[in-house]
Amino acid sequence: MADRTSRPCASPLVPGGPTLDQIDPSGAMCEAVDRIERTTRVGLLKRAGAGATVLFGAWRTPAAAAATTQNQDRAILNYALLLEYLQASFYTEAERMRALKGALARQAHVVGAHERSHVRSLRAVLGRAAIARPRFDYRGVTEDASAFRDTAVAFEDLAVAAYKAQAPRVQSKSLLAALLAIHSVEARHAAWIRYLAGRLPAPDAFDDPMPRRRVEAIVDDTGFIVAPASTSGKRSPRFTG
Amino acid sequence: MTIAVPEHHELRRAALTAAALVACAGVCVTVVSVLSSNRSHTSLPPPARSALAFAHPTPLASGARSPARWAPVRAAATARRAPHPGALPVARIGTRTPESTRNIVQVLGRTRRRAGRLWVRVRLAIVPNGATAWIPRRALGGYVFVRTRLIVDRRHLQAVLFHGRHVVFRARVGIGKPAWPTPRGVFYVRNRLTRYRSPAYGPIAFGTSARSAMLTDWPAGGYVGIHGTDHPELLPGRVSHGCIRMANRDILRLGRLMPVGTPLTVR
Repeated sequence: MADRTSRPCASPLVPGGPTLDQIDPSGAMCEAVDRIERTTRVGLLKRAGAGATVLFGAWRTPAAAAATTQNQDRAILNYALLLEYLQASFYTEAERMRALKGALARQAHVVGAHERSHVRSLRAVLGRAAIARPRFDYRGVTEDASAFRDTAVAFEDLAVAAYKAQAPRVQSKSLLAALLAIHSVEARHAAWIRYLAGRLPAPDAFDDPMPRRRVEAIVDDTGFIVAPASTSGKRSPRFTG
Repeated sequence: MTIAVPEHHELRRAALTAAALVACAGVCVTVVSVLSSNRSHTSLPPPARSALAFAHPTPLASGARSPARWAPVRAAATARRAPHPGALPVARIGTRTPESTRNIVQVLGRTRRRAGRLWVRVRLAIVPNGATAWIPRRALGGYVFVRTRLIVDRRHLQAVLFHGRHVVFRARVGIGKPAWPTPRGVFYVRNRLTRYRSPAYGPIAFGTSARSAMLTDWPAGGYVGIHGTDHPELLPGRVSHGCIRMANRDILRLGRLMPVGTPLTVR
């Protein structure tokens, strides 16, 4: 892995605040964000350097351009996969903890199955390029109905806005169709949990996309992505033998 | 003069009829143009096909055995007999094992106090074996769920690993000699050690929460391990100081199948 201090994850999310490296020691969020950063920079170069391409001759062949497009799409899918991991694990844990009852339990049951399905589908299309599932620590919010509801509202609104920001950047029409298929379902999830939380399911006539930085800040606030516990070692055993 | 009046009326009627016909023709032309423009929409391209093969949503299995869960100890805490800061202390729980891996506890239940603080009941790696106690939820990290469980049968000298309801591993084992018996009870796998230089333990050693009742002065406290051996000819049998030994090929296979946190039952 590249030196993390040279990556955007090492800079604070907000002035004086923590860096993504600090809140995401497993590197999963950073990895997804970094891929988008890299491909976005390439995309910017592509647009701004159209004239330079002519000057430098065969600096970018059509094959290279196609590869760049493919890389950006893959990075966006991995970013979507990270959000789906975050949600799928959240609902799965909530259901396993059996702390929810009634309509909220039903919501977690149905939406959890959807989110796991999104994860499987994204992993299938990404193949070996899919990022690994990070470790999560939901810090007790899956064990309390009220905390679960508030977190679920935040997660679903976040997913809707994050998909909205990335979908226009997807180059492949078939991938865009896939992301839109997920995006509208996330919007239904958001409306459902907002209704259960006593909030307006559709408060505005138009929704705003949420840029990557803002999504990072929200993930930062949760502190839900953690480093895996190191339960393996190389020390000589001192068991009874 | 009286004849001219009906002629005027007829003219007006004819003019009105003509105007009505023109209006009808206009409406018809509009309807036809609207219909024809609607028909042109059918020439739009079909929707793009999704790149994803959508996986069917699968709900969690209800009624099946719930997976066991464990959590790393994030901050040292005092385990107490009841979920209350003033309850009798049972043990101090550290963040590290004697092998310097992250300490983990098996989580058995939870309760929320009136003040809103969450407490969890955990199984401890202390003597007496099988002890449980309460610690604040905030002392622990995220939960990890495992579907495996290992059963060690002391009578038949056999270890069986289940994944859900399915047996995925079975091997003959060595257990403690009568003077240092392998403790009976319910425990969990705490860590996994590899690449050490102790041939007596084989290629992989799992640490467990079980402790020998007889060898409490053993280095690091007399924890029972599950490991390989450099004397496979002694297996199966009652040959160890309490540890569960198996052939190296078996411990390597178990190493691929059994995650840390797996509940262990010795019976």
